[in-house]
Amino acid sequence: MSDDGAVGEERPVLSVRNLVKHFPITEGVLRREVGRVRAVDGISFDVYPGETLGLVGESGCGKSTAALSLLRLEEPTDGEVSYRGESVTDYDSGELKAFRREAQMIFQDPTSSFDPRMPVGQSVAEPLLVHGMADRRRRRGIVENLLERVGLSASDYDRYPHEFSGGQKQRIAIARALVVNPDLVVADEPVSALDVSVQAEILGLLEDVQDEFGLSILFISHDMAVVREVCDRVAVMYLGEIVETGPTVDIFEEPQHPYTRALLASVPSIDPRRRGEGVELSGDVPSPSNPPAGCRFHTRCPEIIQPEGYDFDQQNWRAVMDLRVRLEQGTLDLDAAREFAVAEGEATDPEAVTREELARAVRDEFSIPPELTDHRAERVLQDALSSLVDGEADAARDLLADEFETICEREHPDLRDTEAGHPAACHLHREAVEADAVRSQTPED
Amino acid sequence: MATESGDPERFEDVDWDELGGLAVPRRTLAFVASLVAYALLLGYDYLLVAEDQPTIPVAGWNVTAVDWLFLLTLLAIVFYGVVPLVVNRRLTVHYWHQFRKNRAAVVSLVYLLVIFVVGTVGTAFIEPPQLDTLAAYQPPVYSSVPADVPVSCAGEVVDGRCQGTWAHPFGTTGQGKDILKMVVFGMEVSMQVGLIATFITIVLATAVGTTAAYLGGYVDEVLMRYVDIQLTFPTFFLYLLLVYLFGGSLFLLILIFGLTGWGAIARLVRSEALQRSEEEFVRAAKGAGASTPYVIWRHLVPNVSNTVITAATLLIPSLILAEAALSFLGLGDPTVPSWGRVIADGRGDLSSAWWISTIPGFFLFFTILAFNFLGDALRDALDPRQEGGE
Amino acid sequence: MYWYVARRLAWAFVATFIILTITFLLLEVTPDAQAAQLQFQAAQGGGSAEAAREAYETRRGLDAPLWERYSNYMINVFTLEWGWSDTRSQPVVEAILDAYPYSLMYGIPAVLISTVVGIAIGLYSATHQYTLADYAGTFVAFFGISIPNFWFGIILLLVFAVELGWVPVLFDPNVPVFSVANAKQLVLPVFVLTTAAIASEMRYARAEALEYVNAEFVKTAKAKGADGRRILTRHILRPALVPLSTILVGDLLGLILTTSYLVEVVFGIPGLGRLSLDAILNQDTALVLGTTFIPVLIAVIGNLLQDLAYTILDPRIDYGDR
Repeated sequence: MSDDGAVGEERPVLSVRNLVKHFPITEGVLRREVGRVRAVDGISFDVYPGETLGLVGESGCGKSTAALSLLRLEEPTDGEVSYRGESVTDYDSGELKAFRREAQMIFQDPTSSFDPRMPVGQSVAEPLLVHGMADRRRRRGIVENLLERVGLSASDYDRYPHEFSGGQKQRIAIARALVVNPDLVVADEPVSALDVSVQAEILGLLEDVQDEFGLSILFISHDMAVVREVCDRVAVMYLGEIVETGPTVDIFEEPQHPYTRALLASVPSIDPRRRGEGVELSGDVPSPSNPPAGCRFHTRCPEIIQPEGYDFDQQNWRAVMDLRVRLEQGTLDLDAAREFAVAEGEATDPEAVTREELARAVRDEFSIPPELTDHRAERVLQDALSSLVDGEADAARDLLADEFETICEREHPDLRDTEAGHPAACHLHREAVEADAVRSQTPED
Repeated sequence: MATESGDPERFEDVDWDELGGLAVPRRTLAFVASLVAYALLLGYDYLLVAEDQPTIPVAGWNVTAVDWLFLLTLLAIVFYGVVPLVVNRRLTVHYWHQFRKNRAAVVSLVYLLVIFVVGTVGTAFIEPPQLDTLAAYQPPVYSSVPADVPVSCAGEVVDGRCQGTWAHPFGTTGQGKDILKMVVFGMEVSMQVGLIATFITIVLATAVGTTAAYLGGYVDEVLMRYVDIQLTFPTFFLYLLLVYLFGGSLFLLILIFGLTGWGAIARLVRSEALQRSEEEFVRAAKGAGASTPYVIWRHLVPNVSNTVITAATLLIPSLILAEAALSFLGLGDPTVPSWGRVIADGRGDLSSAWWISTIPGFFLFFTILAFNFLGDALRDALDPRQEGGE
Repeated sequence: MYWYVARRLAWAFVATFIILTITFLLLEVTPDAQAAQLQFQAAQGGGSAEAAREAYETRRGLDAPLWERYSNYMINVFTLEWGWSDTRSQPVVEAILDAYPYSLMYGIPAVLISTVVGIAIGLYSATHQYTLADYAGTFVAFFGISIPNFWFGIILLLVFAVELGWVPVLFDPNVPVFSVANAKQLVLPVFVLTTAAIASEMRYARAEALEYVNAEFVKTAKAKGADGRRILTRHILRPALVPLSTILVGDLLGLILTTSYLVEVVFGIPGLGRLSLDAILNQDTALVLGTTFIPVLIAVIGNLLQDLAYTILDPRIDYGDR
């Protein structure tokens, strides 16, 4: 699996292959493992010299964990991380310490990323001290010079963190990340905690710094608007996996993955023609300790592929799929549906709701229309609903699972090239490619 | 470096291959130097000077084991208590402003400083209380006692009552020892017990608490289980048992207090350190390449120091009280003029010579009260929730 | 939750076991004073010190292997075979039974009074914050925890017994328990013990009640027009009782146990504290052990009850591991 158009023929500064980070969930005194939080479940990407790679996704998708793991601030469970060809994962403690001079991190929360009892100058000078610069005056000189270059003043050296605003603290954080002259900077949501007006300043500083010193930056964010401004290339993450990656321009103009499309739709647009194109994702973000089978996004994907032999209206299919998801989870509450029916005026009290009314209430809850256009599908649905209101949720679930099985829940899509030129992990593309292949093979059409 | 003189050095010009190795702060160097000097003196005393010979012939002072411990404690207090206060002047001034609001605490502080100075320095210049049967049972100045109580009255006898004199402002004991001197030497004992034992306690508690919190996992479990076990034995009865078995020397007493009483503070330190370990600056230090001992020492310990100082200040009075109680019960060090012992000695003569038991007790009471006021005020002044408001 | 209770009980057992074992080991490690004395006597008389020591050890069962001595020791402790007190020429258990009523005589009234009064003052202080009464209360609290109890007792004796003669100077153990004479001689010990206990009760009560006084639901009650007393009892006392009950049992017991030594010595009461102290001063090992076990056991049980009460009564606490 190759990455998309590399910047020139250079080798990547950072190379991540199949990075995995799981956190065990333990129980009891003996700490038996009863489950795992699959925060990062096999991601791969490259960062080239001088470029900014964006790692985007919702909160909880594992981006911060990925950053910590590749720097070995958390030990990865599996995978390979290479820095300029050397394997970071195999470093011993001495080599790891040297690596820390080459790769630095900027943290998200400016308030807690500085020791409240240390003057900020000392915090910035700390990496110098740790790596052996014993001369106090020399450290101070370097740091004072650096503080001025990030937009503060030399006299700020002796001030304490609480005396600065959020934006100023992030400047200090940038200074601290630069002070040992690294080649790679991992910025974990560096502007998320700041006001919008201040964000622009800090992003500008980051860009200037990158230009002046030729840094490579891994930029982590959940904010697509910011990413568009700052990043050369983007990797989109969902629930511990990368679902799409490519140059920023391409991703934003021709997003190939439904999740990316949904993320982009949430970016406010000045263009009045593009307003109102918001995509609402159904359901909640699944827990990383129990990710959905097949494509992890299938429980919320608006473009989920329909089962073979049926022809739904895509919206209705999503609605039916939502029902299936809830049945699988076992969180479908008939009592709530009864209350719903009463509220709708169908019946007078929850006990008196008839089977038909209950079935209708369930349909309404998921916004499934009273009758599906595909008759066969409608019959299957009715059978399932009958079983459900009779109290046999398992039977309903199994019936729907058999009849309405979709490839999206059955097979896990890998990152593969798409027509647009950059890879995405979605069965839609395989279908298109396969459909093309089929079409080109069959004599007619 | 390739910079011209007068130009500030830039971070990108640093040649990292030249550097590398340990960077030791000045304070640590100074402390280590003083420790070396201390060790040399200690070696001299123990190896070269005979048991009964005074260590400093000029002053006739035979330095005891407790004295050596006290010196060590004072060194630590200077380097790690006084020096940081002087260096971080703004922070110190801020704390002082908060502290000043509590007037009782300020008075207490002054009183305790006086006691400290008199107890440590003063005792070197005053002769210890001497046995003197002729001077027994002298009443304090401005009071009188029936003339038949003292063996011979040092002052005038008026109306059959012996008058007190300034020669013995607080009177004398049944053995003729001047009570003022007993009070002063008692100060030394209390100071030594309070400070040394607390010092041992906070060193142990901080080390265990921060390490358990930072490393977590197995280390944490083991350490905290040990603390649980240590805490189940009620401390007073542990003292009783140990004193019974090993005898009641002051040195042993201090060791027992220090080595068995640190559990509760360790727990406190651990819970505070746990909260701090979650903060990102700890991760930032790690990301800079810092080792575990460095992170614990430079980041965790300073951030729990407020809790530790408050707890320590409240621990000192209970230790002083415990030592006084043990001495009172006759279980303390019989060679040392502890306040508790004086009070116990005076009990038999309560009706005739009331001053023996009462006066030292006042000093004991006020000292403990002063520490409690101090500790309470420190707790408010050092409250981390108040930090950040300038 | 029952799982937690069971675990906590088990821990109490384990703790007791550990304490007993530590005591045993300590005894093993320290030189035996009596053996030393016998050896000295033998040597003086021209005999063999070695032989004297062996005879002593055989007689005392000290020549048995370590494991056997340990198990004997443990069994004896649990079957209340606590040995013979040489200084009092009676079984240790009997000596304890003779002594403990005296400890109860001043202990129980002290606990009752300090609990009731302490909580009352604490609550009053919390609801009348920053008034003169509050400051007076805080002052009393500081006073109570700072004053050396034994010295305080001596001062009181000096004033009320020696100078004023209102109470007897010496304690008479033969006076009937429920008589005026007994009450008179118990007033001072109870008072001393109470002042110490009240101080800590009060501070805790005040601190806990303060949390609720300023709480939203109290303001709501006030807005609804509930009068002061009702607010106090229903809305403040009830939730505050939960944490209060915990320090009641545990800390109070601890305080009483340690202070009893001092109080009994000062006032000459022949209770458990005095018994223990005399045993220590006279090197009566068996009695020392016996009289130390009781308070230690009480402390362990007290802590246990305290933890259980706290977790059972406070629904907010979860029973997970730490």
